[in-house]
Amino acid sequence: MVKLKLAVYWAASCGGCDVAVLDVHEKILDIAAVADIVLWPVATDHKYSDVEKMAPGSIDVCLFNGAVRNSENEHMARMLREKSRVLVAFGSCAVSGGIPALANFKEREDILNRVYQETPSTVNPEGVKPVPESAVPEGTLHLPEFFGFVHSLDQVVEVDYYMPGCPPTAERIWEVVQAIVSGNLPPRGATVGALEKSLCDQCPREKHDKKIKRFYRTHEIIPDPDRCLLEQGLLCLGPVTRGGCGAQCISANMPCRGCYGPLPGVIEQGAKYISSIGAIIDARTQEEVEEILAGIVDPAGTFYRFGMATALLKGANR
Amino acid sequence: MSRRITIDPVTRLEGHGKIEIFLDENGAVANVYFQIPELRGFEKFCEGRPVEELPRIVSRICGV
Repeated sequence: MVKLKLAVYWAASCGGCDVAVLDVHEKILDIAAVADIVLWPVATDHKYSDVEKMAPGSIDVCLFNGAVRNSENEHMARMLREKSRVLVAFGSCAVSGGIPALANFKEREDILNRVYQETPSTVNPEGVKPVPESAVPEGTLHLPEFFGFVHSLDQVVEVDYYMPGCPPTAERIWEVVQAIVSGNLPPRGATVGALEKSLCDQCPREKHDKKIKRFYRTHEIIPDPDRCLLEQGLLCLGPVTRGGCGAQCISANMPCRGCYGPLPGVIEQGAKYISSIGAIIDARTQEEVEEILAGIVDPAGTFYRFGMATALLKGANR
Repeated sequence: MSRRITIDPVTRLEGHGKIEIFLDENGAVANVYFQIPELRGFEKFCEGRPVEELPRIVSRICGV
């Protein structure tokens, strides 16, 4: 049997998706038995120049994690698209921007100033900031251009499959790997490694009528571990988030932040959640509504925690 | 004639790294530049987020 050629790449990411692949533990040997790794910076020593030399379509599957934050990320996205028959947006950052896309609430220059000038631990009297080209005595050094907006992978290149999660769980990854190896993949454009129903459908907590009189921040109450967190006034994105994560946050008595992305047919996870909240607030007057909503301290950063690249709400820069 | 060796990317670590090595006429290392071609800006985009949410945000600085 001809072995598959597999690439795993990270753009603007944390490496958690790569480690999630390794979290399949000894099954990684089964993956190695059916696939040759041709690029995987966290685990193997292939260089970008090796990928450049590959023929178009010579990589069978590329799991691309990370958002597109700078020109190197974009260049690699285009190159891996050309070289790969199947390109998977792997993890929340590639699917919808993920945590790095929270930067879309900020201006590019403000980010650079904060990081390279203003942080208390920074000493930079000459105000040096990264620039695409720097002249040094020996020649010119190059750095990627830092974009003003964080993009999802599919805003830059065509994507074949979407696998959400921050990170995708090892169980789901193994299922998807098996589907790839057996050629048993759904139609292109599908979301894989996630359920068609919401996290609430998986959540073991008792659920009753939701009537919210007050929202609490997570440190303000110790929630009942057996009751729906939203009913207890904690903002939980379970109702608008795909299941498939194994309810890990919920099991730790922490409300969902939506990393598995919106449900099928929903474009706007955040707007959907605002609509859900509208239905469960227990208020009779406008004043009561405003008082209850005042308990939500960071609605944009909470409802769009993992989705600011693809949200219709475009943040500071668009 | 000086020569340039580029190691891109530096592998088997968390994050992105790039090394440029410049050799002199005799093939000895004249200078080396280590570059980090990545920035996400947690320092800025954590501003305005509720403090109790930060453990679940900054844990994405490095997931390795």
